[in-house]
Amino acid sequence: MAKPHRNLVRDYRQDLRLFGSPAARAGLAAMLVTLVMLPMVVQDDFWLSVLVYVGITAVGAIGLNLLTGYCGQISLGHAFFIGAGAYVTGWAGGELGLPLVLWLPMAALAGGLLGAVIGPFALRLRGHYLAIVTLGLVFVGEHLWRNFRGLTGGNSGTSVNAPVSLGPIDFNRVELAGEVYSRNQGYFWLVWALVAIVALLVKNLVRTRPGRALQAVRDRDQAAEVIGVRAGRYKIGAFVVSSAIASVAGALFGSYQQFVSPDEWNLLLSIQYIAIVIVGGLGTVFGSILGAVFVGALPALIDRFGDAIPGVRTSVGGEGFISVFALNQAIFGVLIVLFLVLEPRGLAGIWLRIKAYFKSWPFSY
Amino acid sequence: MTAFLQNCFAGLALGSTYALVALGFVVIFKSTGVINFAQGGLLALGAYLGYTFSNNLLLGFGVAILLACLAAALVGAGFERIVLRRMVGQPPFAVIMITIGLLFILEPVITAIWGFDNLQVRNPWNINTVELGGLVFGVKDLWTIGLTTAVVIGFFAFFKYSPLGLAMRVTAFDPEAALAQGISARRVYAVSWAIAAALAALAGIAMAAGPGGLSPSIGFIALAAFPAMIVGGMDSPGGAVLGGLVIGLAEALTRGYQDQLFSWAGDNVSIIVPYILMIVILLIRPYGLLGTKDVRRV
Amino acid sequence: MHRRITLALAAMLVIAGCGGAGDQGGGGSGGTAGAPPSTTGFDGTTIKLGVLSPLSGPVAVIGLPLTAGNKIWFDALNQRGGVAGKYKVELVQEDTQYKPDVTVQQYNKVKGNVVAFTQVLGTAPTLAVLPQLKTDKVLAAPASLDALWVREANLLPVGGPYQIQVINALDHYLTDGGGSKDAKICNMIQDDVYGEAGLQGLQYAAQKYGFSIANTQRYKTGTENFTGQIQALAGAGCQMVFLTATPTDAGKIWGTAAQAKFTPRWYAQSPAYASAMSKSAITPYLQQTTLIVAEGTEWGDEKVPGMKDLVARTAQFGPGQQPDYYLAFGYNQGRAMTAVLEKAVELGNLSRDGILNAMNQLGRVSFDGLTDDYQYGPVESRNPPRSSTLFAVDPTKPFGLKTVKYNTTSDAAKAFEFQKTG
Repeated sequence: MAKPHRNLVRDYRQDLRLFGSPAARAGLAAMLVTLVMLPMVVQDDFWLSVLVYVGITAVGAIGLNLLTGYCGQISLGHAFFIGAGAYVTGWAGGELGLPLVLWLPMAALAGGLLGAVIGPFALRLRGHYLAIVTLGLVFVGEHLWRNFRGLTGGNSGTSVNAPVSLGPIDFNRVELAGEVYSRNQGYFWLVWALVAIVALLVKNLVRTRPGRALQAVRDRDQAAEVIGVRAGRYKIGAFVVSSAIASVAGALFGSYQQFVSPDEWNLLLSIQYIAIVIVGGLGTVFGSILGAVFVGALPALIDRFGDAIPGVRTSVGGEGFISVFALNQAIFGVLIVLFLVLEPRGLAGIWLRIKAYFKSWPFSY
Repeated sequence: MTAFLQNCFAGLALGSTYALVALGFVVIFKSTGVINFAQGGLLALGAYLGYTFSNNLLLGFGVAILLACLAAALVGAGFERIVLRRMVGQPPFAVIMITIGLLFILEPVITAIWGFDNLQVRNPWNINTVELGGLVFGVKDLWTIGLTTAVVIGFFAFFKYSPLGLAMRVTAFDPEAALAQGISARRVYAVSWAIAAALAALAGIAMAAGPGGLSPSIGFIALAAFPAMIVGGMDSPGGAVLGGLVIGLAEALTRGYQDQLFSWAGDNVSIIVPYILMIVILLIRPYGLLGTKDVRRV
Repeated sequence: MHRRITLALAAMLVIAGCGGAGDQGGGGSGGTAGAPPSTTGFDGTTIKLGVLSPLSGPVAVIGLPLTAGNKIWFDALNQRGGVAGKYKVELVQEDTQYKPDVTVQQYNKVKGNVVAFTQVLGTAPTLAVLPQLKTDKVLAAPASLDALWVREANLLPVGGPYQIQVINALDHYLTDGGGSKDAKICNMIQDDVYGEAGLQGLQYAAQKYGFSIANTQRYKTGTENFTGQIQALAGAGCQMVFLTATPTDAGKIWGTAAQAKFTPRWYAQSPAYASAMSKSAITPYLQQTTLIVAEGTEWGDEKVPGMKDLVARTAQFGPGQQPDYYLAFGYNQGRAMTAVLEKAVELGNLSRDGILNAMNQLGRVSFDGLTDDYQYGPVESRNPPRSSTLFAVDPTKPFGLKTVKYNTTSDAAKAFEFQKTG
C-alpha cells in the first residue's frame, strides 16, 4: 500500500496538533535558531532596538488579536492597558525593586483586573459602538495618568528602573561563555522569548474549547448562546486575557525604555495596534507577529533608504520639494492602502496563499 | 446667570463644530458601513484650501469657503473612486484601515505644501463681537451656528426630497434591493464621500477663521467629534446634530464650573466629560439616542 | 539553492564574529596635546554630530527651525574653517516624530556614527534617551528649557530654564509692571510637562514674593473653545495672568479673552508667541495687554553683536528662513557644542570620554548677547543664565517683538536652586 500523502489528515486530533507536519516542525526549529542567532549576527544597535520594539508590539498585538480577531470585539482602548502595564512595572519593579519574575506577572495581573472591569461593557455594546467606547477609555485613562501622580509622576512622567535578571542572567548585560552581550542583544532575547511564549499560549487557547467558543461568539453570538456557549462569560474572559497580555507588552516597553510619560498612551498607539492586527490578518497569531514587523520595521526601512529617492530634501535647509521625513510618513500610508487593496485579508492571507501553493505542489493551480 | 448663558453659547458654538464633523462621519457610515478615520485629514485639507483661496488668490471669503468645499468634495469622491471602489464587498476592517492609511498620506502632503507654521486666514469674522443684553457673542461663533443650521436643514431637505437623497437612503437601507431597483450604488458611495469631505472642509474653515489661526494639528478635532457621532447614534444624521450639541454643551459647562463643582476629579475634567457622557448614554441606550437598533438574527 | 543559502548564512556568522556587542563604544585613548586621534564619529578631519528632532508631524513646527538654527551655526563655522579652525562639522539629522520610542531607535541608529548630539528635542524624548546616554557616555544638548537638565552630566543645556523666565516676569510685574503682591495673580498652563515648569516657577515666585496664586486654569493642547477658562479667570478677578502655552492655543486664548473684554496684564512664556500673531486680528489686544518673556534681544537688533551675526548668517546660509525664536535657540546650541568640541580638541581627545571630560573642564561660555552667559563645568557648579528679556508686540519689527526690558535678572531668579532629575 502506498504511503499516505504528507498533507493527509486522518483525524480531528491530528488536525489540531500545533506542529504536526514535518514542515511545521522544521519551521519551528528554524524560527528558534533565528531567534537565538539573530542578535549575534545583527549587532547593529539600530536594528536591534527596532526589533525589540517590534517584539514588544507583537506581544500586545497578539493580545488584541485574541480579542478582536478571535472574539470579534473591537477595542480601541489597548493603549490604556499598555500604559497600565508600564506604570505597574515602574512601581513594582522600580520602586519596590521586585525581580522580573514578580513584576511581569504583577503587570499581567493588574492588566487582567482592569480588563475585568472594562469587559462587562462588551455585554451591552456591539461592534463600532464598543470600539468608540473603548476609545473613550484611552482619554479617561490619559486623564488618570496625568492626575494620579503618586504612581505615574503626572505630566513629568516617571523613570522605570526595573531589574531584568532571570537567575544568573541579567538581560542588561548577558555574559555567556566568556562573551559579553549588550543591553539591546539581551532585550532582544527576553522580548522575543516572551513573544514565543505568548504566541504559544494564545495558539493553545484558541484550539481548545474556550477558543472554539470565542470564535462561535465572534461569528454569531446569539447562535453561540443557543448551542450552549455562555457568550457573556467568554467576552469578558477575552477582555481579561487580552488586557493582561497588553499589560505585559507595556511592562516590557517601560522597562526597555526606562522612562514613560502620559503622552505616549494616546489614541494613535491604539490605532497602531489595530493597524497591526488588520494588516497582519484578523484571527491569526502568526499574522499579528507579521503585522508588528510590517508596521514597526517598515518605517525604519523607509527611513533608512528614503534618502535614495531622487528629488527629495534629505536634510533641513537642503534642496528638494518634499522632505524625506514627510515622505516617509506618506510612503507608509500609501503602502498600507496599496497593500490592503491588493490583499484585504492581510499578511496572513498572503502567507496562507503561499502555504496552499506548496501544500498542493506540484498541482498548484 | 450671565456666565451660565455665556457658557451655554460657547457650548452651542462648539457643539455646532462637532455636529458638522459628526455629520460627515454619519453620512459615510450610513451608506458604506465604515468609520472614516481620514475625516480629520479632510478637514485640515479643506481648511488649507480655504486659506489658499482666501489669502493667495484673494477671493472673497464666502467664495473661498464654497470653492474649498467643492475641492474637498472632489478629493473625497476621487479617493472613493480610485481606492475604495475596489474594496466593495471586502471586510469592513480592511476598509477602515485604508481610511487610516489615507490619514497618514494626507498629513505629510498638507505640510509639504503649506508648511508647519501657524497661518492666519483672511476672513471677515476674526474676533469681532456683537453685544446683546449683557452677553457677548463672537461673530465667528454666530456664523458657525448659523452655517451649521443651514447645512443641516439643507441636508435633511436633500435626503427627503431629492431623487439622489432618496437613492442614498434606499442604498443605506438595503444595498441589494437598491441595486435591483436600478440605483447606482457607486454613485451613492461617491456622493456620500463628497458630502462628508465638503462638511469637513466647512468645519475646518470655520475653525481656522478664529484667532488661533491654522496649523496642521487642526484635524485633531475629528477625534473629539467621535463621541458626538456615537451619542447620537452612528447611522442617524439627526442624532449627529443632537449629539454634537449635547457634547458641546456638556464640555463647555463642565469647563465653566470646573473650579466650583469638579475640582475633586482632578484638573481639566472637561476634556473627558464627552467620553464619560458617551459611555453613560450608551449603557442606557446601546445604539445611541437616535440610532437604529440592529435586528439580531440567529 | 539550499546549500547556497546555508553557506551565505555561515559566511555571515563568521564575518559578524558571531559574538556579543557589550563592550563596544567608548575607547579611544588620547594624549593631552597634539591632534586628536580619530574615533567614533571623527575620521581625523570631519566631526559628525547627531540631531534628533521632530522633522515631521505636529511638533515639526519647532523641530524644523531649531534644526535650521543648528545648521546655520555650523555652516558658518565650517566656512571659517571649522572647530579649532581645521575640523569641519557635519550634522546627521534624524526624525523622531516627537515620540520617545522612535527617539530611542534613532538614537541607536546614529550613536555609532557621531561624536555627540547637538540637539535632542523634547522633554519626554530626552528623558527616554538619558539612561542610554549615561551608559554609552555620550553628550547631548537637549532642546528644551527644562530645569531638570542643569544637573545632568551627559546633557549640555542652553539658555535660562522656563522657571527663570516666570520668576523674572513676576519680578517685572511687581516692580516696573505696576502690580503689587496683593493683586490677583493667576496662571493658565497647558496640561503637560511644559505647563508644569511654568507652574513650578510661579509657585516659587509666589513663595519668594509673598503673594498667592488666585486661580490656575489648565487646558489640553488642541482645545477648540476657551470660553470656560477665560470666564473662570475673569470671574476670579485676575489682574495678571501668566500664560504657558504654544502659539495655536495661545492665539485662541487671547482671541477669546479679547472677545470677552477681559483685559488683565498677560505675561506669556516665549514659546507661546509666533510672529503671525503680530499681523493678525488679535494684534491690538496683544499690544494693549501682553508682554512676552524670553531671552536675548529683538530680531535684527544691530547693537547686540550676536544678533548682528545671526541675521547676517541666516541671510547667507538659510535664505528662506523666517525670524524665529527656535532658530536662535538652535543656533545657540551650535555655539555651546562648538565650545565643548574646541575644548576637547585642545585636550587632544574627541572620544566620548574626551568629550565628557572637556564638558567638565569647560568654563563660562558667552553667547554674544543672544542669551546670557552659561557657566558650564562639573554638574554641581553649573550655573544657567538667570536673566530674561521682556518684549512687547510691535508689528513694525521683523519678528513682531520690541524690547521692553533687556536682560533683567531678579534676586529671586538668582536664588533659584536646580535639582537633579528625580
